[in-house]
Amino acid sequence: MKSGEKLVELENIHKSFDQNKVLKGVSLDLNEYEVISIIGGNGAGKSTLMKILTGVHKVDDGTIKINGEKIRSFNPSQAHEKGIYLVPQEPLLFPNMTVEQNISIGFDSGKLNIKEETEKIVEDLGWQLDLKRLAASLTIAEQQQLEIIKGLLRKAKILILDEPTSALTFSETKSLFKVIHKLKADGVGIFYITHRLDEVFEISTHAVILRDGKVTLKGDIKDFTKDILIQGLLPEDSDSNYEDKFEKENIDRSKDTPILKVDNISGDGFRNINFNVYKGEVVGLAGLVGAGRTEIAEAIYGITEVHSGEVYLNGKNITKLGINETVRSGLAYIPEDRFLHGIFPITSVRNNITAQVIKREGAFLNSKFEKEVTSKYVERLSIKISDQNQEIKSLSGGNQQKAVIARILSTNPQLIIMDEPTRGIDATARNDIYSIITELKEQGFSILLISSDLEELERISDRIYAIYRGNCNAYLGFNEINAANLMKAAFGTYEGSEAYAKV
Amino acid sequence: MQKFKNITEKREFRTFVFLVAIFVVVGLVNSEFLSLGNIHDSLKSSLLYIVLAVGLTFVLLTGNIDISVGGILGLSAAVSGMILRDGGSILLAIVVAIGIGGLVGLINGLGVTKLKISSFIMTLGMLEITRVVQVIYTDGQWVENLPVAFKQLAQINVLGINLLSILVVTGLILVHLYLIKNKKGRYFSAIGDNQEGAILLGIPVQRYVTYSFVISGVCSALAGLIFASQIGFISTTAGLGIEMTVIAAAVLGGVSLSGGVGSVIGAGIGAIIMISINSALVYMKVPAFWNDAISGTLLIVIVVTDALLARKANKQAKKERLRARVLHEEEVSVDYAK
Amino acid sequence: MLSKIPKWNMALLIILLSEILIFGLINPRFWNISILLNSFNDFIGIAIIGFFVTLVMITGGIDISGGSIIGLTSVVVGILSQVVGLNIWVALVLAILAGGLCGLLNGVLIAYGRVQAMVITLGGMLLYSGIAIVLVGLSGVSAYEGISGFSQGFSNIAYGTVFGIPNSVVLFVVMFVIAYILLHRTKYGRYIFLTGINQNAAEYSGINTKKVIASTYVLSGISAGVAGVMLTSYLGSARADFGGEYLMPILTVVVLGGTLITGGKGGVVGTALASIIVGFMQIGLQMGGVSTQYIGLATGSLLIISVAILGISPEFKNNVRKLVSPKKISGGKV
Repeated sequence: MKSGEKLVELENIHKSFDQNKVLKGVSLDLNEYEVISIIGGNGAGKSTLMKILTGVHKVDDGTIKINGEKIRSFNPSQAHEKGIYLVPQEPLLFPNMTVEQNISIGFDSGKLNIKEETEKIVEDLGWQLDLKRLAASLTIAEQQQLEIIKGLLRKAKILILDEPTSALTFSETKSLFKVIHKLKADGVGIFYITHRLDEVFEISTHAVILRDGKVTLKGDIKDFTKDILIQGLLPEDSDSNYEDKFEKENIDRSKDTPILKVDNISGDGFRNINFNVYKGEVVGLAGLVGAGRTEIAEAIYGITEVHSGEVYLNGKNITKLGINETVRSGLAYIPEDRFLHGIFPITSVRNNITAQVIKREGAFLNSKFEKEVTSKYVERLSIKISDQNQEIKSLSGGNQQKAVIARILSTNPQLIIMDEPTRGIDATARNDIYSIITELKEQGFSILLISSDLEELERISDRIYAIYRGNCNAYLGFNEINAANLMKAAFGTYEGSEAYAKV
Repeated sequence: MQKFKNITEKREFRTFVFLVAIFVVVGLVNSEFLSLGNIHDSLKSSLLYIVLAVGLTFVLLTGNIDISVGGILGLSAAVSGMILRDGGSILLAIVVAIGIGGLVGLINGLGVTKLKISSFIMTLGMLEITRVVQVIYTDGQWVENLPVAFKQLAQINVLGINLLSILVVTGLILVHLYLIKNKKGRYFSAIGDNQEGAILLGIPVQRYVTYSFVISGVCSALAGLIFASQIGFISTTAGLGIEMTVIAAAVLGGVSLSGGVGSVIGAGIGAIIMISINSALVYMKVPAFWNDAISGTLLIVIVVTDALLARKANKQAKKERLRARVLHEEEVSVDYAK
Repeated sequence: MLSKIPKWNMALLIILLSEILIFGLINPRFWNISILLNSFNDFIGIAIIGFFVTLVMITGGIDISGGSIIGLTSVVVGILSQVVGLNIWVALVLAILAGGLCGLLNGVLIAYGRVQAMVITLGGMLLYSGIAIVLVGLSGVSAYEGISGFSQGFSNIAYGTVFGIPNSVVLFVVMFVIAYILLHRTKYGRYIFLTGINQNAAEYSGINTKKVIASTYVLSGISAGVAGVMLTSYLGSARADFGGEYLMPILTVVVLGGTLITGGKGGVVGTALASIIVGFMQIGLQMGGVSTQYIGLATGSLLIISVAILGISPEFKNNVRKLVSPKKISGGKV
């Protein structure tokens, strides 16, 4: 392996947002001819680190050197000038412009020049990208190609690829790897952010593990195995030592009739998924963001189609039902994106809480009934409001989420699917929500908990299924739930996976 | 060949084919419709609408709307008409008209960008205000007795072709090239296409949105002058309801009301279609009263087809993306073979 | 219920009262109650379509085809009763249904075809007035004179009274009450708001948002049909171009009434007050000897100012402060 000039030297980088310390002293170097894989769970600080490198965020403390030169103030256009280029996960394009226009709109120099250079780069890379096509017609892979071309046109020496393969097909991935190898051979230094451990071994020269704002492991890829990487991802004291414990009991329910029975369903983004949820338990659905968990939930709830297989709620086949009917059958769903799908921001807390329950009432609204329902749940879930007429968007995230929970509880559902219920919520409200979930379980509600927060899953689920790239590849029974097993399952390396996948 | 294919795939081209089809079909029924004289006349009577459509397209490209065009047309025509009637010079009248159009456009633009008023409401309010200002300024009277020299401007022919038509068509092509080829010209559609992306690229979004309203105002004023010259008098209701015809023309020509898509050529062709349907009916001996029903049906059919096609493509793309994420056996086996 | 709206309604009420006061001081005849009540005939069409366009706008849509539907229903009433010879009351019901059908076409294309409401109703506007013109043309009636010769019973719709109150006022109240109850007192009305605030969340909550959206256009079409019948009775003839000039006034009263053009907030009380303000302004100006064409200046400015005040966030207030303060201009308060 050639070793070249130092491109990037990060030393003791600190960064906080408000009270939240995201980076706690990260040091990292990148040389020419290197591909460094950066691995870490959701929220480990990977994207913050890369945003610092591209000049989007300022560092609180620590030094950055690019090409040996110490950088004091830094912004995105300076980063571009220094040859740093980030290829985002979902490139930001002008969908109604052609590829060529998308490339040239950001440049100041003459257009002819750019066109020739672009054609040369495309030819060098051996891609077949028609510059006259509309950006809207590009696949994600092609959009990334476009971004890489933009980076190369800027003579990028430092390329950052943010989970580039997350939406690529197998063959697209292969061709991307060829490009990475070629760029590496040309002396470009690459940061490669990924969740997929196989890819790490396939293309990188070095690996770095980022956990909780710190580098826990770094070194030459030849010194690592998958197990070592997983170990580096785990918290240091993996025995659960939390302030609040939530009641869990190991009960064998397999003889009961399941409330929810998911029988070998496939759809867009997932395939051959099987699992059961019994009365009065919390079942976790683990996996990384984009693994296909939300797609599974949406298919069960009736938002999208199930292509094959069946879903039963209390023995009733609900596979083909729309949202209307699944809700009537006793299913409830708390969506992942609270602002986009969860709340009605510019109306009152009361209207939010009663949005679903009024369906069962007569044609006319009964404000007395609505007030009663609202105060009942405000009290029961201790939602902090000054007035029922308060606009919900003025509440904190935690209270908004509680109002959403109140809304679905008012319909008295049999099964509640919660998709990332504590995202963007502070620690206290988070504990409140865990208590609510535990209480609901004790009252006999069944809960399917989707979460990327492995600690959350570990604390409150009774059993866990893991989804990895659209497949349900691991099952953790009550006694198998621990941080290490969860981490392995989320990254698709849990030993049980092979055996389970064949069931 | 490739170039030709690219042109045929453009939305403007389909609109143009549609226009030609109208002429051919009607020409089959009555060959007089294809006479140069008629084509010349059709173009002449569309000029006003073409100019309005060009201005409006700038606004629509940025994702906004301007429904004050009829009001600006009436006001600027009335004011400059009175200058002409009272013996003012033609040049002064033109400058004043453009000034009025630019000023009203600027107010629209600032209202939308600085006060964050939705463009629909801002320009709806301005539509009403400009109409009243016109009535106050003209004292509710028609502006008549325009000097002959001014009225003849619209009738000058060069080599047998109407000078005004030549100017408008040339202007249309120049504006089209500016919007397509010029870096800054492309900012307008970039803003409507992906506003966040435009901001990230450092495009001064607010400034360009304001420009678009000013351009639309100026174009409306120019249309007002064409109106005055072609018709010869300005009633208090000059240009009443014209905004909807122009919006329809632009949409027919492939300009999207959600911004980012469309060209002035398309909008111009749309305007010619809207006007030609009228004369086509006359030549086909179909009573002229079918005009609106046909334009309305056309508009709905074209727009719904466009929308359904776009949605289908979108859905497919989303599906493919989701499917790509799923791990399949062949990948597993390759990984383990290593 | 929605904290900002009652305040706005209060402002509208004050504007209305001061309007009555000022016009009365200029010309005491304005205070004649029967003149005021009879003036409802002049803006009843705008008001009742406005009530239901309010519903449309709260779902986040817009309907600009109402004026054209007036012309179409007018022609349908005229042709069915005078040319075809149907019973006038049957013709009336069929005409209103035709209005509802136009609304259904709008609604289906917008909700299920998911095309922009502005574009569809613009096409609808051309199409429906086009059909009206075609009907007139085919029936061989003079387009300029229209179809006349309606029975006394039919003209009583507009000119009759109930306990001394003009029918137009009664119709105004009835349509207002229907719209009010639908929007503010029923589950359906709540769904309209929820759909307009966040269609995704409404869909996830099991609300059939497409049906809700489509139905508002049907209601808007029916209300335009009622307005068309009313106008035909008032003017004593049926013509295709009736209602053509209503487009902008309808939108003006809805927006002036405090309904957000982006949907989710608003109400018919505001629309009702705004339509009375605009309607009274017209007769007030007439009585003051001012051309009614000046009304646009008032409504246009009111529109811009009201939206500027209503819609708006702290960001806007900051902008105003920035615009106003360097020049040391005080005011801008309304």
